[in-house]
Amino acid sequence: MEYLASDRIAIIDLASGEVNEEPYPDGLCQEKIGGAGVNLALYQQHQDGEPIVLGAGLFTGSMVPGSDLGVVTAKSPLTGTVCHAPLTQYAGMELKYSGFDYIVIKGAAASPKYLWVHDGIADLEDAADLWGQDVWAACEAVRANMGDELIQVLGAGPAAEQGSDLAALMINYWPSGDRFGLGRALAAKNLKLIALRGLGLLEIAEPEDFAAQCLELLGAVKGGAWAGKKGLADLAAGLGQQALADWLAPLVHRHRASFNTPFAANTFLFLEADPSQLSEPPAPEPGVLVGDLAALAGLQGLGLSAAEAGQVLGQCAHLGLDPAGVAAAAAAAGVKDAAGLMAGLATIKGPVPGLSGPLAPAAPAGALFGLAQSADPAWRARRQALAYLFGLDPLFMLMAPELSEEKLLELVGLGIGLEIGPEALDAAVAGIG
Amino acid sequence: MGVKIDPLKCTACMACELACGYHRDDAFALLSSCIVVYRTRDKKDYFGVILKQEEDLVIARPEGLEVKRIGAVEEGGGGDASAKPMLLREACDLCSDREAGPLCRQICPVEAIYLD
Repeated sequence: MEYLASDRIAIIDLASGEVNEEPYPDGLCQEKIGGAGVNLALYQQHQDGEPIVLGAGLFTGSMVPGSDLGVVTAKSPLTGTVCHAPLTQYAGMELKYSGFDYIVIKGAAASPKYLWVHDGIADLEDAADLWGQDVWAACEAVRANMGDELIQVLGAGPAAEQGSDLAALMINYWPSGDRFGLGRALAAKNLKLIALRGLGLLEIAEPEDFAAQCLELLGAVKGGAWAGKKGLADLAAGLGQQALADWLAPLVHRHRASFNTPFAANTFLFLEADPSQLSEPPAPEPGVLVGDLAALAGLQGLGLSAAEAGQVLGQCAHLGLDPAGVAAAAAAAGVKDAAGLMAGLATIKGPVPGLSGPLAPAAPAGALFGLAQSADPAWRARRQALAYLFGLDPLFMLMAPELSEEKLLELVGLGIGLEIGPEALDAAVAGIG
Repeated sequence: MGVKIDPLKCTACMACELACGYHRDDAFALLSSCIVVYRTRDKKDYFGVILKQEEDLVIARPEGLEVKRIGAVEEGGGGDASAKPMLLREACDLCSDREAGPLCRQICPVEAIYLD
């Protein structure tokens, strides 16, 4: 692949410690598009090694609105089937610029390791000192060791090391949206974390036309139903969950978007600082970043205050637990108070209900911001599949129908100089469905 | 006339950084951009934007704008320690080759960048 790609696939064998590279052939992209499609093909190629595959989508890191998504593909310890989990925030972008389009991690290491991927180099490093550390400490240790605070860390926490069903893959300090227990899959390989950093350059087949089309598309997207709205409180209100929005509002500090994604879907809650404070708070850990409405709704449903829910979310983040799964498991166990929930976090059990397909749900069901089609399960499923192939934010794909399949296929030609038609797209969608 | 930034509208999406890199390289790269989202204080939700102009650095912090003369700024200061130092990057040229003006302004999805 010459354009919008590094043309390299890394194959890491944890058992032998070998790192090999392969080119990324055009034909694989033309058949599978990218992201989850190519990940799955690589998974099947290397399935004897029970691989975890990381991949960027075709447009990840580009100027296409919402281009934040990377994808992790592996067998879920929860469902026993192959699943695709999202890498949003800055992680998908960092993977795309890391010098590798796809990373296959197979086998298991004899002792704790971490994978350091940067500028076209993939190294396995000793992680004996990191094993047992919580998610935040391990993230900070790796960044300090490498002298780079912008490293994106995909990690497993203590919950994963202890085999929890609810051990999610984490991004830096925060949950990734993984519902499939992939933190546990990482830890089962004796792999504590994957550190990503990239300062690469992505060439474009037709730069001027591609950029012009992206800007035109952005113009259309900016007039969409989400316009003027930010964060989880607005998202809850946009789903008709006004009580959840009101419950959350007093703790809201600011909202953060994932890479090149117009809607800021992450909301920071201040628990140890005044939410109206604009200067840098003195508290070292003033609050939590939340990007998961299902987690908040679940914790609210237990009868917790928003502040108590924030404390639970913070502890989940340290331990590496999926907070939506925690809320569901707590509800199933009849837990009704924050103290009881916090005390049981280390041993809480799943499995998470509602995993009906191979993709993690991006948002609770319903019409987002009044968009009727977003309430249609078939439309949602198609949009999620497109997101996971093209590398576009799964939630934003549900609120921006302007990112039409015709536009995306037009951008493929301008971006990578290869033609992919609707039939190939249908086949790729079916392939990951 | 110059590029101005409203840090309270900014959502740290980095679209401006991506656009500036494209303007300079005709490709997607973040290393040459003169506008940078600083995002290392993730745990404290403290983020903003730094813009390199010909003679000064504009630092758009949440609590307000600060303008520093480049000669008065330490080499490599004013940005993420791990990123290419701001002082090694080219200054903003307002995308003078574009009729539509600065690409960062055009691409910002929340109108946090404007001309004044």
